[in-house]
Amino acid sequence: MSLLSDLFAGKVLDPGYAEAAARREAAGEREPRRGRFRHGGVLLVLIVVGLLIAVAVAEVRRSEPVAQQQRSRLIGEIRTRTAESDELQRRLDRLRADTERQRVAALARSEAGRRARADLTAAGAAAAAVPVEGTALVVTLADAEPQDGGRRRADAGRVYDQDLQVLVNALWAAGARAIGINGQRLTPTTAIRTAGEAILVDYRPLTGPYEVTALGDRDRIEGALRRSAAGRRLQALEDRFGVRYGTRRTDEARLPAAGALQLRHARPRGEGGRGEGARGEGPRGEGTRRP
Amino acid sequence: MIALIGLVAGVVLGLLFEPTVPLWLQPYLPIAIVAALDAMFGGVRARLEGIFDEKVFVVSFVSNTIIAALIVFLGDQLGVGSQLSTGVVVVLGIRIFSNAAAIRRKLFGA
Repeated sequence: MSLLSDLFAGKVLDPGYAEAAARREAAGEREPRRGRFRHGGVLLVLIVVGLLIAVAVAEVRRSEPVAQQQRSRLIGEIRTRTAESDELQRRLDRLRADTERQRVAALARSEAGRRARADLTAAGAAAAAVPVEGTALVVTLADAEPQDGGRRRADAGRVYDQDLQVLVNALWAAGARAIGINGQRLTPTTAIRTAGEAILVDYRPLTGPYEVTALGDRDRIEGALRRSAAGRRLQALEDRFGVRYGTRRTDEARLPAAGALQLRHARPRGEGGRGEGARGEGPRGEGTRRP
Repeated sequence: MIALIGLVAGVVLGLLFEPTVPLWLQPYLPIAIVAALDAMFGGVRARLEGIFDEKVFVVSFVSNTIIAALIVFLGDQLGVGSQLSTGVVVVLGIRIFSNAAAIRRKLFGA
């Protein structure tokens, strides 16, 4: 505590000089001793102090660019990797197109091959493995406006996964070639379900309004939908709960291929023999048609 | 005058040669600088009061820096390095401020 009390008392905190002066006074010297080097010590000390300060400044300025460098190196690495994966994706696309061309060429040689190719094209379209475009019917479902709050239950006017499921199944039944929800392509095995407040389609959350695009013969789809149970159900939802439901036609609809199709039932021919390739345990009980 | 020349010469030397500080010495550099500043202000104040003594100055500088570095080193070994650094900086900062106040009083009479 003597530091603080000395401080408040206004005393000299480092009494070394005062004591030295008092000693000199007692010894009868007037001038402070010059020492051996005549200020050499002071000079030396101050050079060291200046050196220290300069080194510290240089050190601080050096360490800052190091952090900056690391950051920009990481950013550069991310960019490089992204470019690499883009390049790989492009290569994959090229190879896929190449494979497709060669398959077409190989299958076109024989009658059986042409039949197989037609099968393959149909299967690819049915499995949503290729992008499609064409005329389409777009069915829009949206949550009810929360206009007369309190009268209805809070979530009565919400679109549920069941509504979308019913609608999608009705559209398949009505003869749609391909279906997408909010631009996401549906495969025959795509799950539509609720998780919390969001509706997941293929495990990716979507938010309303939900636009269900059904490619195919628009008149037929629209008519079949209106007559179906699903159409009546959605109409009832609109009437009773205010769920917004509407259809419109579009000439130019485009749906991408579904992401990451997995081969579940096909096996390479060499491994399991001929019969292994066509095990019928798929959801539709069909399996592949060709061994 | 000679003091200013020394200081400038030191800074110039440091900037010219840019010596790299070894990693184990880096934590002690700022503390050593604060201690050196304390010794410097003490010296200036003594000079203005007419009681400057070279021996006291050199000894106070050397002992200040070494002790400050030692305290921080000890704190690092005990795991309280940053707290002890704070303590050293606070104490030396108080001394620097009181010395600077004394210098100000001598120079400007206020």
